[in-house]
Amino acid sequence: MSTYISGGCKNGKSFYAQRAAKACGTPLYYLATMIPHDEEDLARIRRHREERAGWGFETLECGRDILRCLDDADPNGAFLLDSVTALLSNEMFAPEGVDMDAARRVADALEAFVRRAPNTVLVSDFIFSDALLYDDLTEAYRRGLAAIDRRMAACCDNVIEVVAGQFIVHKGVLPV
Amino acid sequence: MILIIGGSYQGKLDFARQRFQLAEDEIQVCTEDTGALDFSRRCIAYIDRFALNRVRSGFEPADALGTDPGLYKDVIFIANDVSGGVVPMDPTLRAWREACGRMNLKLAKASDEVWRLFCGIPQRVK
Repeated sequence: MSTYISGGCKNGKSFYAQRAAKACGTPLYYLATMIPHDEEDLARIRRHREERAGWGFETLECGRDILRCLDDADPNGAFLLDSVTALLSNEMFAPEGVDMDAARRVADALEAFVRRAPNTVLVSDFIFSDALLYDDLTEAYRRGLAAIDRRMAACCDNVIEVVAGQFIVHKGVLPV
Repeated sequence: MILIIGGSYQGKLDFARQRFQLAEDEIQVCTEDTGALDFSRRCIAYIDRFALNRVRSGFEPADALGTDPGLYKDVIFIANDVSGGVVPMDPTLRAWREACGRMNLKLAKASDEVWRLFCGIPQRVK
């Protein structure tokens, strides 16, 4: 069963996503999407790894080109992808230059991923309700993330919004 | 009267087009340059953009709705929800954010249906 989770930051998305993934079966994989750029990122990654310790996740590094992870993994296992937001950022703002087509590529890849590995939990971020006027590039990033969200919401079994540790089921059921 | 609300790019206008079978010329698509609402259209989209125009011109956007909701009782309004972020540093954007809230409350109160879109999925909240 595939589950798409979104909501504002620090609302409990990742913790719930870990529980949902763990309930999906074994082997249990964590798809690590953050590409560290500085000491702050490294510290964040260490903190996340400590939080996951004992859950039984095998960590697969996949900041880009998400489908490649399946080369080294059992597609019948359970996968946690946290987060779609970071994945799009890595693909769109790559060292070789900005790719305005990244959102379409990421959505294609994620759809193919969920088809091959149906027990996947994906975490996105709801960044669409503030009263700021952004520059064109930031706006393109927001538009791109929303386009991925909508395509994945259409293809995943469950769509859950997390708010202050509570859950709104927009599609399907609460998996745990 | 119907209000459709949700964050940016959540599929509000697509939902309205599909559910209410709107033709393109029945929709007023507001931009920051829109200074007046056209109640003769079946749908007025992005009233938040109209509100930004009004705030920049020194007017209260909700005043454009008048005191008689009968004037727009058959209109489908679409509003970007801009209420969920950090309070903007810019005083105009701050005023805009609050003006949108007042306008949405007024519209929702007069509406028979209020819908919220999330990742393209509609949820009826009134």
